[in-house]
Amino acid sequence: MANSSNLPDLASSELSEASSGALNNRSLRVAEHLRKKAENKPFELALKYLSNVQEGTVVRGNNELEKNLVVVETVAFRQGLPPDAISQLLDLALSLRAGGVTCLRILKFLIPASVVPQEAIVRSVSWLCVGKMNINAQVLFLRWVLTVFDLIDCKDRLRSIYGFIFSFVTEENLCPFACHLLYLLTMKEHVQPYRVRKLMDIQAKMGRQPFLMQLLAVYKVFRPELVTLSVPSRMRAGFKNYNSTWKAALSAVQKKNRPEAMADLSLSLELKGKSTSRKRKLHHLEVPGLSSAFDTSSDSKVFRMQELQSFAQLLQNIHNIELPAQMGSLLGSSLALHYLDCVQDESAFLRLNFWLGHSLQEEFLLCPEDGGSDSLSEASAFLTTILSSQQFLQEGFLSTESFLYKFLSVWDGSLLRSQILGLLSHIPPMSSNYIKTLVFEPLIQLYFTSNVFFKCSVIECLNSMLLRWLTCHFVNRLEDCADLSVNTNTTATMNLSGFVDTVTELVSFVGRLATEGLRLENCHILLLNHTLNFYETVCDMLVKYELPLVIMPPAGVFYPALFATDSLTVDRLGYIMYRYRKNLTLAKKQEQQNGQTFHISRATYQDFNKQLVVMVSCLWNSKSFSPGTSSEIDEHLLIQSKVPKYRCCFDLVHHPAFFKYAIEFHQKCWPERTCVDLASIKVGRYWSWYVEFLFCQGFDGLNYFIQVNTGQSSSSSSS
Amino acid sequence: MIGKRDVQIWFRCNWRLVNMEERVSAVNTPANVPMTRRKSYGRSCMENPSLFWQTPGHLTTLGHRVPTSRGAARSCNVISKVDPEQIALLMKHEWKLAYVTPLYRFQHARLKSYSKHLTAFIVAERQQGVAIEVGTEAGIKVTVSTLQGIAENEDDAETVFIQIHSKPMFGADALKPVWRGWLTCVNGDHEYIKSLPPDFVSLPLFCSSGSEPLTALVKSWFERTFDCNFGPLFLNSTTLNWLAALWTGCHPDSNIRFLKLSWTMPTQPSLDIMYTVNPQDAWELWNSIHSEDGADDRIHIDEVQQFMNGLETHLFRHFKIYLSAGTLMKVSTSLGSAHHDGKIKIGSSDYMGTLLTLLTECALLRTPV
Repeated sequence: MANSSNLPDLASSELSEASSGALNNRSLRVAEHLRKKAENKPFELALKYLSNVQEGTVVRGNNELEKNLVVVETVAFRQGLPPDAISQLLDLALSLRAGGVTCLRILKFLIPASVVPQEAIVRSVSWLCVGKMNINAQVLFLRWVLTVFDLIDCKDRLRSIYGFIFSFVTEENLCPFACHLLYLLTMKEHVQPYRVRKLMDIQAKMGRQPFLMQLLAVYKVFRPELVTLSVPSRMRAGFKNYNSTWKAALSAVQKKNRPEAMADLSLSLELKGKSTSRKRKLHHLEVPGLSSAFDTSSDSKVFRMQELQSFAQLLQNIHNIELPAQMGSLLGSSLALHYLDCVQDESAFLRLNFWLGHSLQEEFLLCPEDGGSDSLSEASAFLTTILSSQQFLQEGFLSTESFLYKFLSVWDGSLLRSQILGLLSHIPPMSSNYIKTLVFEPLIQLYFTSNVFFKCSVIECLNSMLLRWLTCHFVNRLEDCADLSVNTNTTATMNLSGFVDTVTELVSFVGRLATEGLRLENCHILLLNHTLNFYETVCDMLVKYELPLVIMPPAGVFYPALFATDSLTVDRLGYIMYRYRKNLTLAKKQEQQNGQTFHISRATYQDFNKQLVVMVSCLWNSKSFSPGTSSEIDEHLLIQSKVPKYRCCFDLVHHPAFFKYAIEFHQKCWPERTCVDLASIKVGRYWSWYVEFLFCQGFDGLNYFIQVNTGQSSSSSSS
Repeated sequence: MIGKRDVQIWFRCNWRLVNMEERVSAVNTPANVPMTRRKSYGRSCMENPSLFWQTPGHLTTLGHRVPTSRGAARSCNVISKVDPEQIALLMKHEWKLAYVTPLYRFQHARLKSYSKHLTAFIVAERQQGVAIEVGTEAGIKVTVSTLQGIAENEDDAETVFIQIHSKPMFGADALKPVWRGWLTCVNGDHEYIKSLPPDFVSLPLFCSSGSEPLTALVKSWFERTFDCNFGPLFLNSTTLNWLAALWTGCHPDSNIRFLKLSWTMPTQPSLDIMYTVNPQDAWELWNSIHSEDGADDRIHIDEVQQFMNGLETHLFRHFKIYLSAGTLMKVSTSLGSAHHDGKIKIGSSDYMGTLLTLLTECALLRTPV
């Protein structure tokens, strides 16, 4: 008995401990504790009295019984009942020793404080089988079991009396509740032909009832070879909740006692599967629901995808999970994608690719006439699902890839643009002449005939494609280094020179796109920025991804960026040139260290130096277009342009991008001056102050560039 | 029908062929590289895409290579191999065509159990929300059986025939057939079939006849059970041209009685043209184009094109209508008929193999991966 009162006691002491932190509260707490103990005394006595009630006790007018019931009831609603009390009270109630009315009353206040011992339930089921209780009490009891189901400490014994519980389905009033309980208990071994037949009989009698359907649906999950069922879309609600009687009290008590043991009061379980019903004739854009084939392995240890509820379950069963009947259904859930990542079965991927390829082909290549607006949103949702799956798996599907090659040649460039380009950025590298015919040729036609925003998205797409390739290359390199001994799939890997060729092809393709695009779009700022994004990836290929390749931007990208009217673009160009320098320096160092012939050609170094000279002489030395640099312009032409002081019109002071800063600096330095003379900034220490001022505006790229290239000692072109 | 004019022509004339150019030698398609698949959902990084996408010049919408020549139709005594009753059944109905991706874990030995499950599935789908015990008596009876002898190649999987009978509620035990369909593969592309893992069975051509909802149910059951997919198989003009030429070529051996072609012209109102050619004339035209070169009698796509051009030119001379501007909708002879919408009728069991080979090829070309 002392044991039984322990739990609420402990909980309350914990509570008070939490509320009072100070030391002088201690005595108070002890007193409280004692008071609680004293308070519990009558509860224990009452419980003892109740458990000793004998059969045939007079209930009506029995004041002592009434008094003790009230004591227990009060405690139950305030703190919940300990496991022992629950089993004693259940026994008292269901044995009807204190009569039917008391039985109902007890069931209504049977609020568990922590857990419900399964023995109590098993014993109660045996009382139920005796059949003395009236039907209301039986229903109430089953409802109570369903409510506290998650609090039952262990369910193995309960499962072993599955057959007894199953017998309740024949009772019409009990059937819904029995079905729900069975639904929660069913394991594969419980699904037997005679039970299926019994349920069929009941179905014939009662018609289509949601609870029968749900139970049979579970049976179908376990033994699809025995029973088949098609659940209509509007009847997918699951079971009703029967916990109304206890809900409020139970949640209050649980909140008070142990928040982590909170039972999930919404016991209604929905069947996993199709999320919505689609009224669509062509159903090829639906991710199929998870289901198992009827000729699955009979091994009872096999774990089905439909049963999968949590990541923990996935980890526990990862060795014997059975793939669903339709591989496409894996795309529907993120848990399943986790599993797909571990699958090694070639047939499984082929099945997935057949389904996916078929869906894409039917929707986008063969049935274009079925392109209503609602189907467009469906198509976009479908592609988004594929895209997010691919992002999750960090790899494109074979069927998406082959679909894209076909689709690019018929695409108008606007239909589902973001999804298509997103998918395109997932294609793995292939040898350079394939990528030319399959991707670049169709893409270049669309590029030149579309608006600037499409151009931007194409460059963005190719940038993320390059990033993926480089990451893939980097990871593969690491893996190769890790196990040099196991070199099994050498045939599957493109060799380094092939990969370098493909990347070169991609970079020069983007170079062409960007050059022409910038010219066509008048150096649109957005396009310029996307292009620089791309070159930010390109300039760092050696340092970041260990790919021995440096490719300089073409003049058509370099000059628009250098002479851009906004400061951010020039700043980014500075950063890119700084990174190029880092990469080339590393290349040189590696070359000297290893003594091997390195792949980076002289021409690249020369290109870099030329661009560097131009940039430094423009921004720093005020010698734009001077003879000897690659930006040399004939003197007569420059005079004809009638620009005064044309040599210094692109230095850091006069450059249109920094003009504003120069003015601001001028005002700060000489607030009293009325006429602005920017040339005075270039004199003496003002120049270094001005540069400092610029760097304080957040032009980090420029800062790096100038620090590395124009340090006091070093000459402008040092590599 | 208002707005539709039918032009029917019965013509004999001397053939004067335009475009009788030198016969272009067959464009040799590159030797097939054995297809390899990787343990990956995608193409393994850095491996080149498979051969399907690399043949410029002959790319279809789906990027596949279309064969440029094929063997001439040859009579084949199917009756000796196949149950005549079954043959009669195949020839009795008009079939709606579909293509099917390979079936996963389909076993010819388990057809009995498939019948049971298909029955239960159809009943369950019809009575939404009522569970059906597998193997119980129901209002319908489904039989799944093999049709031995249709397959011509040892790689071809045996044809599977499905029949659905409805059982009358009362009295008479006579079953009424309400639906039938079959899955077949005749001379399927050897390399493609070989490249599939062993747990796949390729039966790419699906022919069905019966109510549309039942067809949908059967398809849906196959899709769920064998993780395959069905798609409609339309016959494009190239396929229909091939059939016209192949059938015409059979005339000396087996009287084709007529060659009927119908076109739909893109006019407003639409103009349907029915073009019936005397079989002897058609054959003479064909004979003037195609020369049999000994044992290996192969027909080239250019010959087929010339044959069709010849027919079209003739009509143009009389009616000033360019048939090539329209769509060829239907080709029929006494050996069979084929419609653009993907409907066929088999007229002669002897030439069934040729037709099914062509259709299998069309179906395989639709397979997405």
